[in-house]
Amino acid sequence: MTDTVVVIGGGPAGIEAARNIADLGVRAVLVEERDRLGGTPIFESYAALTPYFEDAEEAMDAMIAALHERDLADVRTNARVTALSGEAGNFTVTVEGAGGSEDVSAGAVVVCTGFTHFDPGRERQVYNYYQYPDVLALQDLEVQLKAHDVRVPSTGEVPRRICWVQCVGSRDRNIGNEYCSKVCCGVASKQAIEVRRICPETKAYIFYIDMRMYGYWEQQLYWPAQEEHHVQYIKGIITEVLEVRGQGLVVRGEDTTMGRPMEVPMDMVILSVGMEPSDGTRAMASLLGVDQNKYGFVEVAHPPLDTVTTTRAGIFAAGAALGPADLEDTISTAGAAATKAVALIRRGAPAVA
Amino acid sequence: MTIPVELVNGPARKNKKAFEFSEQHAPEDFHDRLFELEEAGELIVQRVPGPYIEVPVKYGRSKKVPIGQTWHHKSCGQCGHIPGYSTSIFWVNRKLGIEYHDPTDQTSCTAWNYYASATSNAAAQACVAMRNFAAAYESDHFPIIHCGTSFGHYKEVRHEILAHDKLRAEVREVLKSMNKPLVMPEEMVHYSEWFYAMRDRIAELQVRDFSKISCTVHPACHYYKLVEGDAIYDPEVYGGQRTAVVSGVATALGAEVRDYSTWFDCCGFGFRHILVQRDFSRSFATQRKIKRMKEEADPDVTLTHDTGCVTTLDKSQFAAKAQDPDFATIPVLSEAQFAALAMGAHPYKVCQLHWHAADYKPLLEKMGIDHEKAWAEFEEACAKLERGEQQYLTWDDVDAEPGVVVPR
Repeated sequence: MTDTVVVIGGGPAGIEAARNIADLGVRAVLVEERDRLGGTPIFESYAALTPYFEDAEEAMDAMIAALHERDLADVRTNARVTALSGEAGNFTVTVEGAGGSEDVSAGAVVVCTGFTHFDPGRERQVYNYYQYPDVLALQDLEVQLKAHDVRVPSTGEVPRRICWVQCVGSRDRNIGNEYCSKVCCGVASKQAIEVRRICPETKAYIFYIDMRMYGYWEQQLYWPAQEEHHVQYIKGIITEVLEVRGQGLVVRGEDTTMGRPMEVPMDMVILSVGMEPSDGTRAMASLLGVDQNKYGFVEVAHPPLDTVTTTRAGIFAAGAALGPADLEDTISTAGAAATKAVALIRRGAPAVA
Repeated sequence: MTIPVELVNGPARKNKKAFEFSEQHAPEDFHDRLFELEEAGELIVQRVPGPYIEVPVKYGRSKKVPIGQTWHHKSCGQCGHIPGYSTSIFWVNRKLGIEYHDPTDQTSCTAWNYYASATSNAAAQACVAMRNFAAAYESDHFPIIHCGTSFGHYKEVRHEILAHDKLRAEVREVLKSMNKPLVMPEEMVHYSEWFYAMRDRIAELQVRDFSKISCTVHPACHYYKLVEGDAIYDPEVYGGQRTAVVSGVATALGAEVRDYSTWFDCCGFGFRHILVQRDFSRSFATQRKIKRMKEEADPDVTLTHDTGCVTTLDKSQFAAKAQDPDFATIPVLSEAQFAALAMGAHPYKVCQLHWHAADYKPLLEKMGIDHEKAWAEFEEACAKLERGEQQYLTWDDVDAEPGVVVPR
């Protein structure tokens, strides 16, 4: 039995898993293919984290600093896992980095390779994401929010009217993504609040199928957005985003409460894009030989009471590699995966649900 | 030829990375099941005859489009309402010296009624499609489908035939009673894909200058919204964000493609609407499409690639004109007629523009065509028929001999 766990992916889940593993007295080798840790919150320039509005960079930097304080945490950036052999308790994980290839002996592996944002250029081209500069996705707006400067890209002006279109790439049978991405309703509400704080003259609208404000988000985001920040929620499906020359953008759809079609002029449109497995999640699942569900996320073997054990003994997964997840779910599953990986090593036998 | 998105609409996109289709998100490739069934002896797969051209389709895949040896599955509405459409397709084939077959034993696809919820059942629909494919196979020519609705419907039939064992067995029995084999073409090919694939060769034979001609494009819903994986998406055209057929042909011919906001809207045909709510079709075609094009792009012509789209966009304009004498009309052509005109086709004998409703004469003038002289020639040709000197116009009457390709 090898007293090491390899953690793949240096985002919130990977950092948290490695930190927990080290705290439990086991060596954690964290492999991240990019040049720094932080994952999507850093590389997609997230501004404030949902739902507590902490500064994303500060929060992630604190996590990363805490990890580096652990002597048992061995962080390898600019590195990739390229092969795995052996079995639970005695894996050999090949890690290729700047210094060459190294075989790491590991008792267990935790996959924390995360998600990617749905690309509205692949389907739903009628939102004209790639055609109109003023149609953005959630992560594009995060860049502006991080700079505390919200501007219409084509004019440089502060938007008079901005809206979010929910469920872009989620809950959509036509494109095969039937699942809810869980976080978009909360993130859109969070962003609307931030926009209203940064530019109080901007009118903010959220077009939704139904708002899925899990747990405390109802009180943390949904009602404050309306009552304190005057964000307008309109129940209806936006079918297209048009640009009428000289008149800016127009969102067209159906107001299902009023039971009538609507066309509403906007300066900026934000597509609330859903979550899909990252290239890394697909690649690692395939390389490690763990099952993926029909969407490409890592499948767990024994749901619902075991949320992190994959279909291959000794390999666990955490965060958005398992499916759409908010940060709280991500951190929770990272802790669970770390515990199970260490337990496997301590017991000297594969963990079971 | 590149039509970057930023050229057709507004400022260059600098705040997003370039888009690329990825096989990763592609739906299952129907070919796998198709060849599996062939291997099991369940059906015959008719291969695309060579030489063919590979064109890019959605999800980054490619599709084979045959150059010749084609079996032309015609369109009821084209032949009935806008006969110059199919004549132009054949004329261009002949000018390019390409061998094709114009069958006389084709069955109507019945898909219009199907999409209008008026008929029928899965087996009957599939039998019609497979009967036509068998006829093409027996003639040793590969089906190329003129009608966007037939094309869309046959893609759906293909899916059903591949997915449902019982349906396949039922259809096989029906075909057996006609002494025909169960055959599925390797690719479903729409005529506009052939024009797209051949656009450079067509341009080589261009004799009229279209560089001053501006156009808008209406992509046909049943071409690209049904079974999307078969539709041509070229990263070089609209950044791969819209289907590239028609736009690619217009650009190859030197015309300026102008954008308008409702490019993705239906033409107004709507299948059920044109049958039972025709006023809705007329209003939609004129208010949502023609008026928007005029206001936003002011094109010389709008081009499309389906029967229902040409007829609805064109023949609805009289209704708006009747309501408002100042309603600004736009001529409507298929890209096949547009290409034929570019190659020197006669506007009446070949393209038969006298069947079109919106005023096309200013367009002809801009193309350098003397339409009065052309009309006189057409009248003289008709007079010959009346005098009994010949029964009908022939290809010899319309200069359909292969043209000379001028090296560029």
